[in-house]
Amino acid sequence: MKSSPKLRPCLWDGLVVLLVVVLAAACALAVWSRGTGAGDLTAVVTVDGTEAERILLKNFPDGERTYSGNGYTLHVCLADSQGAKGPGLYVADADCPTQDCVHTGTISRAGQSIVCLPARIIIRLEGGTVDKDAPDMVIG
Amino acid sequence: MKLTTKQLTLCAVLTAMALALSYLENFFPLSLAIPIPGIKLGLANIVTVFALYALGPGQALLILIGRCLLGAVFAGNMNALIFSLLGGVTAMLVMIVLSRGKWLSVYGVSIGGAAAHNCGQVAAAVLTLGNTAPCYYLPILLGVSLFTGALTGLVAACLFRALAHTGLMRG
Repeated sequence: MKSSPKLRPCLWDGLVVLLVVVLAAACALAVWSRGTGAGDLTAVVTVDGTEAERILLKNFPDGERTYSGNGYTLHVCLADSQGAKGPGLYVADADCPTQDCVHTGTISRAGQSIVCLPARIIIRLEGGTVDKDAPDMVIG
Repeated sequence: MKLTTKQLTLCAVLTAMALALSYLENFFPLSLAIPIPGIKLGLANIVTVFALYALGPGQALLILIGRCLLGAVFAGNMNALIFSLLGGVTAMLVMIVLSRGKWLSVYGVSIGGAAAHNCGQVAAAVLTLGNTAPCYYLPILLGVSLFTGALTGLVAACLFRALAHTGLMRG
């Protein structure tokens, strides 16, 4: 044996846990609070690093769309806008081996994304936030 | 690096065990509970932690690279190689640094390695996809790494306790 490890958790391990928690919180602040722009909720589809499509969710054609990348195909559907989460997108089926994109379920908030690593496809939601500078009401 | 026949055999057996554990964890798909691409228990990391203490950083790195290469060949998916290599090597480097100090237990080292593994895999995803969207999952992956790292540490600790009486690792 090159070196004998301590086999019981000690106080110093708590420091590693604390560091990981702080790192996770810092990442969450940096990534999740990132502004995604005002306006209507828009789906931005990236295939193999390049933006393939940008569609307003309210204009999503026939409620479904198909995207292909790296030999795999994703069948994307518009989620029921009457649902508690509001309008969103989900991958109904895909022929990729991992099926993570299907298991991700519905995304309905700006900043959320569905990533399919085998197909190299990213579906990200942008906008959907209230424009603070916009007028509350227009009269006259 | 010069290896004795015993060391070489041990490295080969541990590489095979790591590959078997990688295959085994497909039967416990963590992604069904937490639907994030690439999320898993990291059972193969048990071998890495064990090898790091029992054989030293050099041989542990050899086992890791062997496991990543053979895993990609057996799966027939060379695209996955960059993910396992970048995740594995990042975790290994962090664990080497953490284990040097002697003040951390196998749990702390394992949790640090699990967190570093996820950082490496997210970096691989960002490089592969050419987009920073995978960073969205990093906070969740880091949170999950506290549990998966503790689990790996627990199994490794049990392994060391069990082997302490056998004298298998002596010499």
